[in-house]
Amino acid sequence: MNPDILTALRALGDADRVAEASPDVERKLRGAFRRKQRARIWKRAAVWSAAVAAALVAMIAAYERQHEPKQIAQPVRHVAVEAVEAPVLSVSPMPVRKAARPRRREMVTEFFPLLDGAPPVDRGELLRVRLPASAMRAVGLPVPEDRLADPVQADVLISEDGLATAIRFVKTSQ
Amino acid sequence: MCVGSGSFRRRDFLERNGLPRGNPDRIVESTDQDLLRRMLAGDEEAFTALYRRRQGAVYRFAMQMTGSVVIAEDVTQEVFLALIETGGRYDAARGALASFLFGIARNLVLRRIDRETVAEIEEEPVCEDDVLGELTRRETIEQVRRAVLSLPPVYREAVVLCDLQDLSYQDAAEALHCPVGTVRSRLNRGRAMLAQKLGARVGEGVA
Repeated sequence: MNPDILTALRALGDADRVAEASPDVERKLRGAFRRKQRARIWKRAAVWSAAVAAALVAMIAAYERQHEPKQIAQPVRHVAVEAVEAPVLSVSPMPVRKAARPRRREMVTEFFPLLDGAPPVDRGELLRVRLPASAMRAVGLPVPEDRLADPVQADVLISEDGLATAIRFVKTSQ
Repeated sequence: MCVGSGSFRRRDFLERNGLPRGNPDRIVESTDQDLLRRMLAGDEEAFTALYRRRQGAVYRFAMQMTGSVVIAEDVTQEVFLALIETGGRYDAARGALASFLFGIARNLVLRRIDRETVAEIEEEPVCEDDVLGELTRRETIEQVRRAVLSLPPVYREAVVLCDLQDLSYQDAAEALHCPVGTVRSRLNRGRAMLAQKLGARVGEGVA
């Protein structure tokens, strides 16, 4: 290779060999390094804090679960009905009365709607229940005052979507 | 040789600028990788030692590539900021840390080289003895510098790294992300272009 070029380049390299960045650059970089470390420490502290907080929440939740009083299953009051053995019949098509054939000799009332404006039920199930006689008064049937608490039987018509749509009362002949 | 106060001259950070002296200088025997590992663990002394060890080369590379001391300072700062932020990505298996730093510097330089390549190199004060000889020598060096700056960047970076920074072909190849053979061919081509540009002037005052 051309020795003159190499000599010239070497001279340029030697002339620049002592060149370096000003001290301000080092100062700025050290400042940046410290800021970065501080941010790192804060970040780590935040992560640890979050972890400790999560652990505390989990411990408290576990403690409360262990010590909370056990709830005893109680009958729901507003469902003061008792299911009795009753035939589950297919109600199709209306009128329902024809489909519901009692196995024993029974006298039944007409169906009283339980839902306002409910469409007629083509298919559904009958559920035999026992209710206080006051339920009859609720649909407009006369009940003596002193017999309001007496139990009576009823068939509740349950539509396919699970809604109680109508009710009739049943009197079984002895 | 006369020692001036321009930005090309070595400055004693420790005495002139009151920077911490003892600790970073005590760990000069550590390897770059040791220093980097400690730096990444949060050791400021290690960072300072690493910076002091490598900043000069990075600065000179940027200056010789751009002819601007302002850009060279910016690039040096950005290179070490990048090291602070993403130093964990350095893979020792892929080359020396110096090559890694040159690689970052090169990317930064190439981004700015088209925008602001205006030589702002400060003139150094001239010693009173042998003024004429010193001026002649300096003039010749500046001619060489201008010739280097006029090279296309791909040839310039090969010349700067191999001839001015004395990197091995292997290290230069790692910094430039290209094969060693490419570095060789670019270097030869760059030198030939320089010889053509400088003509008879080379060799007259630079011995």
